[in-house]
Amino acid sequence: MILESLSSLMAPMPLLAVLLGTVSGVVIGGMPGLTATMAVALLIPVTFTLDPLIGLVLMGGVYCGAMYGGSIPAILLRTPGTPAAVATALEGYPMTQQGRAGLALKVSVIASCVGGVFSTIILLILAPILAQFALTFGPPEYFLLAILGLAGLVSMTDEKTGLIKSLISGIIGLIIAVVGTDPISGMLRYTAGLTDLYDGVAFMPVLIGMFSISQMLTLTGKKSVVDNAELVTEIKREPLPKGIFKFISMGSFTGTLVGILPGEGATIAAFLSYNIARRRSKKPELFGNGNPEGIAAAEAGNNGCVGGSLVPTLTLGIPGNSVAAALLGGLLVHGLIPGPELFTTYGPMTYAFIFSLFIANIIFLILGLYMAPYFARISLTPTELLIPVVCLFSVLGSYSMNNSVLDVFLCLLFGVGAVLLHKTGFSLGALILGLILGPIAETGFAQALIMSRGSAAIFFESPQALALWLITFLLLVPPLLNIIKKHRMKSA
Amino acid sequence: MKKLLALLMALVFAFPMYAMAEYPSKPITIVVPSKAGGSTDTTARIFINAAKKYWNGANFVVQNIPGSGGQKGFEAIARAKNDGHTIGLIFTTQIVSHVVSKRARYTLDSFHVMGNCVDDPLLIAVPKESPITDLAGFIKAAKENPLTVAVNGIGSDDFIAAKKFEKKAGVEFNLLPTKGSTEQKALILGNHADASIMNLSQMQAQHKAGTARVIALLNKERSQVLPDVKTAAEQGYDVNMTATRGFVAPAGIDKDILAKLDDLLVKVNNDPDFIADCKKNVYSRLPMSGADYRTYLEGLQVETQSFYDKNPW
Repeated sequence: MILESLSSLMAPMPLLAVLLGTVSGVVIGGMPGLTATMAVALLIPVTFTLDPLIGLVLMGGVYCGAMYGGSIPAILLRTPGTPAAVATALEGYPMTQQGRAGLALKVSVIASCVGGVFSTIILLILAPILAQFALTFGPPEYFLLAILGLAGLVSMTDEKTGLIKSLISGIIGLIIAVVGTDPISGMLRYTAGLTDLYDGVAFMPVLIGMFSISQMLTLTGKKSVVDNAELVTEIKREPLPKGIFKFISMGSFTGTLVGILPGEGATIAAFLSYNIARRRSKKPELFGNGNPEGIAAAEAGNNGCVGGSLVPTLTLGIPGNSVAAALLGGLLVHGLIPGPELFTTYGPMTYAFIFSLFIANIIFLILGLYMAPYFARISLTPTELLIPVVCLFSVLGSYSMNNSVLDVFLCLLFGVGAVLLHKTGFSLGALILGLILGPIAETGFAQALIMSRGSAAIFFESPQALALWLITFLLLVPPLLNIIKKHRMKSA
Repeated sequence: MKKLLALLMALVFAFPMYAMAEYPSKPITIVVPSKAGGSTDTTARIFINAAKKYWNGANFVVQNIPGSGGQKGFEAIARAKNDGHTIGLIFTTQIVSHVVSKRARYTLDSFHVMGNCVDDPLLIAVPKESPITDLAGFIKAAKENPLTVAVNGIGSDDFIAAKKFEKKAGVEFNLLPTKGSTEQKALILGNHADASIMNLSQMQAQHKAGTARVIALLNKERSQVLPDVKTAAEQGYDVNMTATRGFVAPAGIDKDILAKLDDLLVKVNNDPDFIADCKKNVYSRLPMSGADYRTYLEGLQVETQSFYDKNPW
């Protein structure tokens, strides 16, 4: 069956489809406002008329490519193309400012590829077993996972943004996440009678505003992202830092694991592995000032999500995230029903699809490595050209998500707000984290209490829940000890 | 110069005349109140494939307006220019539950109901580990201890079905609202909830694969997709609920154009390619005329209102 699937994949048409899908995925991921979900959803009607295999590998290529593509503008311009690349921007952009964009891009593409390949191997070998693991996660475990993510707020703290300020940022994010329909009672909260707000403050316009628009506003006083042109061209041949693979493998593992859980996205995967890397790094003081270790973990994390998210999608028909949900739609259109049959009766097709993901990863690796020095020159673009172009795409992108004019205003509003927050030393990453995790924590908490009929014991019952408590504890204690130590030194 | 002006004037005046004489004079927009790639979106696209055969040269454009349980899209249809060049899809029960909860900026009178196309009946599913195998066992268990039953959000078709079932069987559920079918599936397959009320298309694959058990279909007849599943009525509880997907146009369109549109829907509903596409996507067809569908929607609104009055959300 494996041979059969390989031979059906090694024909010119499927290979061309993978290439086309991956390259367009990289481009789509690179534009602010166009996400992988959107690209895959738009492809479904197109795949209607295609051979099922061609359609599937096309969508798979777009998925892999877009996950990587988002990191390019994140590193070069601090305008993440996809939400999953926010953590990459935190480390990548300072590197660009130091003229080390070439290295940052190289680390990002290698980490992306390793993360993608690792998760695809897991998908290939362990899918049915891991799907069972994913199912053991119920509402209480999701609540605890969100809490674990929020514990990352503490690790976002550095000299610039003190602990108090990063906690405040996170709480602002949580407060914004409250807007919309109450997930349990169906009541409306702070929607001001606007239908556009019934689903809550749309995430993409906020993200585009906070990163792209605010960055363009900040750049208005400068000639280009990097003032010294020689800096970019000179050190493009910097070797990979030692020990980087430790962080890549850490990210790949975390990403795949988070990806497998239904409903959890690449954004959370990237943030989680970024925070774990920050905890485990020997040079944590470099984080936030351009540490390639952070890029490695975050990018391996979000690409690790690709294979992971397909585990429950293919075996159980439960999509791991929104892109996988769109892919599931594509499978069903072709009469491929997720379940054991997909690996037996339709085995050749399924395995060919999984193998195509490997090819997609290799394609963007070659593309990324070869193009990195050229991409790096984007950071030399004069701002009078850069600002109008990025702003145009930002406004277009925030409108096109939901065809809503309100979203454009939200995007601009958050852009201005983010400049103020950034200047006063509040962490934007922490705010985004609060905004993403707020709804997950809230729904999980409320659902768990409905299931247990009001007893909080449900949060301590399963072994998974206890393990999550333990990891949260381990993430929180060292920074706490640090703070106490600093406090003592000051008072002494 | 004068000649040119005259020509321009002539063009300006001629255009509306032309539009009236030849309908459709431009592409017809079909508003889909959900995301691209979803089942409502697919319904619109297979409708277009068939419709093109009957209206030679006519173009159709899908416009996705997702959000707020379809409310944004429904409002966009109601607001659209009533020249017949914008029509849209609606789905139940959301179309009436927004009206009932006083959030909608439309009523059923804002639309001309063209008719229904397809439907997706609801069902009751339990985890495969559950001792419950039929409705009798389900109700017995529910009477002993309130069962945790997962539904899509408040006011959705699942929620109304659960309420209808509670009323008919005289039981009370511990209702667990979720964000949609993905979460419901995970809750049932992972044995976290006692049961879930959801649509046939969302759970049929899992029942066939043996990872979940469907104990009753809330429909008048058994489904061809799952012929082994008994209906609720067969098991002594006559509770029916289905999610319909039909077409509407904004109110106030010229009668001749409406007649053309209604006729197109009837033709598409009986088109062999359309029927084949529905089968491929596991959609069950439920063709209804405009008048019938309107009566159905009004009945559904009254029913939803009764649940809202008892326990508003």
